[in-house]
Amino acid sequence: MSLNRIERAQGLRVRSTQDLAGGLFMIVLAAGAFIFSWDLPAGTLRQLGPGMLPKAFAVICAALGAMLALASLRYHGEKLSGWSWKGIFFALGGALLFALTIRGFEFGPIRVPALGLLVSGPLLIAFSGLAADDRKIKELLIFAVGMSAACILLFKYALSLPIPLAPWLLGI
Amino acid sequence: METIAHLSLGFGVALTLKNIALCFVGCLVGTLIGVLPGVGPIATISILLPITFGLDPTGALIMLAGIYYGAQYGGSTTAILVNIPGEATSVVTTLDGHQMAKQGRAGVALGTAAIGSFFAGCVATVIIAALGAPLTKLALLFGPAEYFSLMVMGLCFAVVLARGSILKAFCMIMLGLLFSTVGTDLETGQERLTFGIPALSDGIDFSVLAMGVFGFAEVLRNLEAPEARDVVKGKIGRLLPGWDDIKQSIAPVLRGTAIGGILGILPGNGAVLGPFASYTMEKKLAKDPSRFGKGAIEGVAGPESANNAGAQTAFIPLLTLGIPPNAVMALMVGAMTIHGIIPGPQVMTRNPELFWGMIASMWVGNLMLLVINLPLVGMWVKLLQVPYRLMFPAILIFCCIGIYSVNNQPLDVAFTALFGLFGYLLIKLGFEPAPMLLGFVLGKLMEEKLRQALIISRGSFVTFVERPISAGLLVVAVLVLAIALLPSIAKKREEVFTE
Repeated sequence: MSLNRIERAQGLRVRSTQDLAGGLFMIVLAAGAFIFSWDLPAGTLRQLGPGMLPKAFAVICAALGAMLALASLRYHGEKLSGWSWKGIFFALGGALLFALTIRGFEFGPIRVPALGLLVSGPLLIAFSGLAADDRKIKELLIFAVGMSAACILLFKYALSLPIPLAPWLLGI
Repeated sequence: METIAHLSLGFGVALTLKNIALCFVGCLVGTLIGVLPGVGPIATISILLPITFGLDPTGALIMLAGIYYGAQYGGSTTAILVNIPGEATSVVTTLDGHQMAKQGRAGVALGTAAIGSFFAGCVATVIIAALGAPLTKLALLFGPAEYFSLMVMGLCFAVVLARGSILKAFCMIMLGLLFSTVGTDLETGQERLTFGIPALSDGIDFSVLAMGVFGFAEVLRNLEAPEARDVVKGKIGRLLPGWDDIKQSIAPVLRGTAIGGILGILPGNGAVLGPFASYTMEKKLAKDPSRFGKGAIEGVAGPESANNAGAQTAFIPLLTLGIPPNAVMALMVGAMTIHGIIPGPQVMTRNPELFWGMIASMWVGNLMLLVINLPLVGMWVKLLQVPYRLMFPAILIFCCIGIYSVNNQPLDVAFTALFGLFGYLLIKLGFEPAPMLLGFVLGKLMEEKLRQALIISRGSFVTFVERPISAGLLVVAVLVLAIALLPSIAKKREEVFTE
């Protein structure tokens, strides 16, 4: 939006926190990519090396980020709005729980046995469902069981994907 | 007459009982997921990708094509009934379609959309069949330099046609290209930007990126806003348009099909322009333009036909040149690669039954939509009333099972969650993630072609402007960018995309 809506600025101040943050974000990402591809040889034009394109793209990304950040000082645009921390915690947390429990996990002293879809499914639905503002616990629990059963029938049996069901109980 | 021989080969493949069934299931589940508000075609296809894994490549592609049409049509249904466009191309349908629904003519709007789409789909199928063979021959003339320039042009179009700020779309394309360099270098075998994580040595997994950014991040975005769903209450009304409606829609459908079909072939999301162009045209041609926005049937018939025609002709650059013109087609590339097919001119010569079977199944898919969607409208309406608090856990479990099944790797699910967070961050910063996916898919191919071209030219960049086709493509790319940056055009562009 910002580049197109031309409103002449009187002096520089931040007119779009969203664009400024976006520009800085691009610069940080690009700088990271540039630093981590530092050791890769860029090669010559005749024989491009592995490092040439990552570095070139990183430089362009950083330049675009800088343009975006500078543009935010001149042109009006959107402001940054709040985050949905609850969504991040419960929805993404649910996915992580699924990842940890589906086939088990071992990290130092922490050991999680392979629980399979029979447990991981309801766990994911029940945990992530807590993210909704209008959650109803009873409804959610019933839905978690029902939906998991439907998924097991669909993915394990109808589509026969090799996903563990309940190794600790059924051995599959 | 070659075309007819090809098409009959294709129909021979597509009309086997198994493939009809796959197409049917694809259309059905595609619509089922696509009809959910806030789930566009990109998210639908990424969620449903895993259910095609167990199939042979031809069957899988036929099913995917079905899913694609179903998702498209599901988006139109949501646009008409709930006033939430699933994606950019059905924005226009909300204008008059939802008004019609409010006047109790939801059924007629849905019916007109389906019939218009079916007609457009039939025409587009013939166009693809007719253009497929000659364009493939053209593609064989392309050397690495031409391919590289063509992709540059495609990305320039994608920048210009993206929603929102051009600069931000540019950022996303470059970020996609940057992500595509992660992984083992093809020529030297050196690891790039992998941080020593073994899972990254093959590069960022396509489905992980797509599902994270379009599945998870979408859920996070929808969770944040308390939903205001304006589901049409009351009757859907009869589905088949009356004689007057048909008389009013014929011309818009024909014009929409032509516009959408032509724009869809353009590399770089040309299809997105179709519905806008069609709507503007109908409004200009109408005797009484003031009816538009208040439930004019032409405003549904034209754009919907253009939408479907464009959605289908967008396959042409993908199937003939191997270059996806937009994010949805980029997803199709990912899906094809998972099934071991590299899209490009060689597909037609090496797997003719797959190529023509898929084209024929597009027509079958369009017919399916007509057959299953209209009788099932009542079911879609019920589905629209499922509250989001139950919908998103269901979307999440589909995504999780899906990603797990790609490589049977729990770690992939964790990576997807990470990309979900990343995608949410992008949304918060006002970036539209679709161009990133396109850049990501084109990136590897671009690097390969660039290297080949430079080896052939002994390290001279002049090769890109010396060769006439390549130079022409680059000139078009520069022109498109320059025109879009002109202040007067930029203003118009903004109007189109905010309307």
